[in-house]
Amino acid sequence: MSSPSTRFAKISLLLATLFAGSAHAAPSAEGIVVYNAQHESLTKSWVEGFTKETGIKVTVRNGSDSEMGNQIVQEGASSPADVFLTENSPAMVLVDNAKLLAPLSPATLAQVDPAYRPAQGKWVGIAARSTVFVYNKNRLTPQELPKSLLDLAKPEWKGRWGAAPAGADFQAIVSALLEQKGEAATLAWLKAMKTNALPYKGNSVVMKAVNASQIDGGVIYHYYYFGDQSKTGENSKNTALHYFKHQDPGAFVSLSGGGVLASSKHKEEAQAFLKWVTGKGGQDILRTENSFEYAVGLGAQSNPKLVPLKNLDAPKIDASRLNSRKTVELMTQAGLL
Amino acid sequence: MSSLHLHQLCKHYGSVKAVDHVSLHATAGSRLAIVGPSGSGKTTLLRMIAGFEFPDSGSISLNGQTLAADGRALPAHLRRIGYVAQDGALFPHLTVADNIGFGLTDKGHARQQRIAELVEMVALDQHMLQRWPHELSGGQQQRVALARALAQQPQLMLLDEPFSALDTGLRAAMRQMVAQLLGEAGISAILVTHDQAEALSFADQLAVMRQGRLIQSGTPQQLYSQPADETTALFLGEALILPAQVKAGQAQCALGEIAVNDGQFCGAGRIMLRPEQLTLQAEAGAASAVMAQVVECDFGGHSSLLSLRLPELASPLQLRSASWPLPARGSMVALTVQGRAHLLPA
Amino acid sequence: MPSTSSSTSAAAAAADTLHPTTSPELRLPGRRLPLWLSGSSLLVSLLALLPLAFIIAISIQTGWETVVRLVFRPRVGELLFNTSLLVVLTLPLCVALGIAMAWLTERSNLPARRIWSALAIAPLAVPAFVHSYAWISLLPAFNGLAAAVLLSVIAYFPFIYLPAAAALRRMDPALEDSAAALGLAPWAVFRRVTLPQLRLAIWGGGLLVSLHLLAEYGLYAMIRFDTFTTAIFDQFQSSFNGPAANMLAGVLALCCLLLLSAEAASRGTARYARVGAGSARQAVPARLGWRWGLPSLLLCLATAALTLGVPLLTLGHWLWEGGGEAWHNAALWPALRQTLLFGAAGAVLTVLAAVPLAWLSVRAPSRLQRLQEGCNYITSALPGIVTALALVTITINFARPLYQTVLTILLAYLLMFLPRALISLRAGIAQAPAELENAARSLGCTPGRALWRVTLRLAAPGAAAGMAMVFLAISNELTATLLLAPNGTRTLATGFWAMTSEIDYIAAAPYALLMVVLSLPLTWLLHYHSKRTAGR
Repeated sequence: MSSPSTRFAKISLLLATLFAGSAHAAPSAEGIVVYNAQHESLTKSWVEGFTKETGIKVTVRNGSDSEMGNQIVQEGASSPADVFLTENSPAMVLVDNAKLLAPLSPATLAQVDPAYRPAQGKWVGIAARSTVFVYNKNRLTPQELPKSLLDLAKPEWKGRWGAAPAGADFQAIVSALLEQKGEAATLAWLKAMKTNALPYKGNSVVMKAVNASQIDGGVIYHYYYFGDQSKTGENSKNTALHYFKHQDPGAFVSLSGGGVLASSKHKEEAQAFLKWVTGKGGQDILRTENSFEYAVGLGAQSNPKLVPLKNLDAPKIDASRLNSRKTVELMTQAGLL
Repeated sequence: MSSLHLHQLCKHYGSVKAVDHVSLHATAGSRLAIVGPSGSGKTTLLRMIAGFEFPDSGSISLNGQTLAADGRALPAHLRRIGYVAQDGALFPHLTVADNIGFGLTDKGHARQQRIAELVEMVALDQHMLQRWPHELSGGQQQRVALARALAQQPQLMLLDEPFSALDTGLRAAMRQMVAQLLGEAGISAILVTHDQAEALSFADQLAVMRQGRLIQSGTPQQLYSQPADETTALFLGEALILPAQVKAGQAQCALGEIAVNDGQFCGAGRIMLRPEQLTLQAEAGAASAVMAQVVECDFGGHSSLLSLRLPELASPLQLRSASWPLPARGSMVALTVQGRAHLLPA
Repeated sequence: MPSTSSSTSAAAAAADTLHPTTSPELRLPGRRLPLWLSGSSLLVSLLALLPLAFIIAISIQTGWETVVRLVFRPRVGELLFNTSLLVVLTLPLCVALGIAMAWLTERSNLPARRIWSALAIAPLAVPAFVHSYAWISLLPAFNGLAAAVLLSVIAYFPFIYLPAAAALRRMDPALEDSAAALGLAPWAVFRRVTLPQLRLAIWGGGLLVSLHLLAEYGLYAMIRFDTFTTAIFDQFQSSFNGPAANMLAGVLALCCLLLLSAEAASRGTARYARVGAGSARQAVPARLGWRWGLPSLLLCLATAALTLGVPLLTLGHWLWEGGGEAWHNAALWPALRQTLLFGAAGAVLTVLAAVPLAWLSVRAPSRLQRLQEGCNYITSALPGIVTALALVTITINFARPLYQTVLTILLAYLLMFLPRALISLRAGIAQAPAELENAARSLGCTPGRALWRVTLRLAAPGAAAGMAMVFLAISNELTATLLLAPNGTRTLATGFWAMTSEIDYIAAAPYALLMVVLSLPLTWLLHYHSKRTAGR
């Protein structure tokens, strides 16, 4: 029998070692901190490419658009973030309106198609994605598809479609609707949605539900379909994509944004990171890897499997006018949040 | 003179007076027993001497060193006072050897040597040293506890009912061993107990406590034969208590005329006799004998309890007596009193 | 007064020269409670009040009108309805299954009872959201209230089983025998004698289950069932710590307090019986016979299949699909390391913080001390997301140097899991009665050294058990970790969550397996403890 006191000593020693180790768990001060609301895997590829080329270390904090946008605003001048990457524009607009972004280097801006960066504002598009209606091929014929996003508010769609209202993607779509149609129309549509739509946690889950015939269709972004098709296709094999086009609110193309924080203490490295993401290295990753988001760099090619961006006939919306707070407020009012 | 002095000690718990103005003096090398029923404050007194509790007022000094006075006190670990608790209080996470060596500052061989000596002193086997406390019997545990306390070379040993958890036979043997051991080592001891027989046999000085107060102190013989009051008399052993008319050192009572130990008192009082002062005979031998009838006879092995009816007493007199010869129920016996009766204070 | 013989005087004098009595200074008697002890226990309890104070403060700050607008709206009603329905449906099922299993494994002659007993506790080794993951990847259409109830029963019925089995084990069979002798049929004996004695076990376990139902996020998020906790998380994702999230947190905290007081009221003056030395006599196992034996066996089999079969099967399936490649995920091993570090540091800190409280509750129980303990219980009953939300807001506004630091997340763990440490530690300290500390002091140890050399050594096994409990709670914690983790850190739970959010079930499987492996010792510990407290 080993004496309990030696056992105690061993345990304390072990724990003390572990505890001492944990003191170093916090990221080191060197390098830059990126608040990332983009897909983790895409940002991971960007970060790896960037660090490989420049040797600059990048620490990533993952989250969602509005969460991190609001977080940066609250953190204010002492935010630990150097760079903010969003999935959609509204959260970036929020931070920009709070005057927390630094001007981007002209070299970065010059790399991006002027259509994919705000006319005013201190941020830039890094990728783009299109709203689609994913539907189950066995349950809907092309004739039965909604002509407009607004049709989904009609009673005949009750219980037949789904979306992920808590997600930034869907909230960006709503913010575009708000920008196009105004507050009253948007609230009415949201209230109808509360009755008609099934809420899911995440776009991939919506697509999976459509694929499994739980619902006929869902409002998501295009790349979930292509991503799944490029793997096993098991969550999308029964589905197809319907593009609304005709400058319908449902044809909204959402811009993922990147910005450098005015409070950054590593501005040079932060600028270099955005320059890399919008440059050839970063945009090539959009074409070659399986993010299936649209490239926005001047002359950059998107993945050839995608419907070309210019064919989508998206509504012209100034990304810098998208209002995330109002959107969340209206969705809360409609009982979706 | 080196000794323990307690002066006007008081200790309250809320509104309860656990120890109430106790003054006591014990000479060096003596063995003091404090007896009293549970809740009499004897353990609190002991714990104040040990330094586990601090008196509200009063003072304690040992061999000229003040341990507590004026609301200040010396912490327990600086007092060099040994303490053996009721259940031994051995550290369950340490072996016998480590328990005994707990307070030793020696290291290595010197330590081993000392532990071996101590084990020898308390008459334990050396092979016990590597055992765990839960593997020992109650008596062995107490020996280890004693050895552990002795290791400190204490100026004073406090024993808090250390024998009460032991079997009757073992208890007496342990008591003798401890008394002898402490005597040889010249260590004064204070024993707290509620067992009067234990106190009487262990101590050369006895103190009786009740409700926080010190009722009486002195030698065991003194207290036994001249208790301060009836309760103490009965606490220290069986006693016959009789009303009597006292005058000029003689008491007139149901047992006839008996000498008392107080020559001054005059009037109605109560006297105490110990059973062993009464001799029982089948027929009246001496002139002073009083005849009584045996009403009840409760056989109890080597002694029996007799109920005797005396002509002048309303209720029968209870008397423990040797079982041989055992008088038959209904028979008449003659009672003779030896020595003097003790006059109880009014 | 006995006279002193000259020889003993000489001995005493010799002792005096050995240890000269240069009188060390007398000290003021130490207070009965050292100041640092009561002070630190008070500090921990005040910290525990932080989340509640935060909710009250934010409600005042938000203004009554906004509060009314945010609280009294259909969505909150809907969530309240969902959440209460979940509790109302799940609880009776958990109780029924828990008691049935407990009776079968403790009181019947069911074959292989020991194995069934271990299997009934084993679901606790699977984190609740891993249960959800297992089912949703097996049945993609699995969702809504029915799914939520089924999964909740699967994940949480052991919380009823454990205390019920322990109570049955130490129940004196003489009571049941007497009832039978008074002419009661077996079923009536169970209803009128056995069941009432299980009451405390049922209330205690029921409270635990209910609090878990209110706090759980991952389990319900995956199967599309909205409760307060999932709604708060949605609000957090949409607006960080906006007033809507905080108000929902307030309502949820209110629900928890309601449950706590309901349990306290129903318990009445009855006390949780101290664990005795066990009954004098083992109960004679009830003979089931074929008519009851077969259905009983089927019940056990079905329970094991649903609670363990499905998770192991799906997990095995995804691990097989992923093959060795899934283990090459570069983020997996750092996540394991991070989990171990958070777990170990959190466990040490929590147990250390629990020492003063535990010490006071054993050695110097008082009304103030009970009040302090109450504060800690209430906060630990609050869902992790409420505590986390409070800490995010407080650190970002008032304690910026602590914001996004390891310290803050450890504080959250401390507040959430302190009672787990407290319970084990208290049992440990009770192993070391004050008498032993006194003995050490009379042997020359200062009070501090006596505490270290005796009490803490004896309490060590209890402290170790407490640490294990806290460690495993931390390693499966999801919501607070999601909100509070420092930049660039990811635990097994949050890593698993990121993978399942992108429905990458293959990549999620290694995370799930590691969490199960980490949780197994807890399950063993619980099993061991429940046997031991019953005196077997």
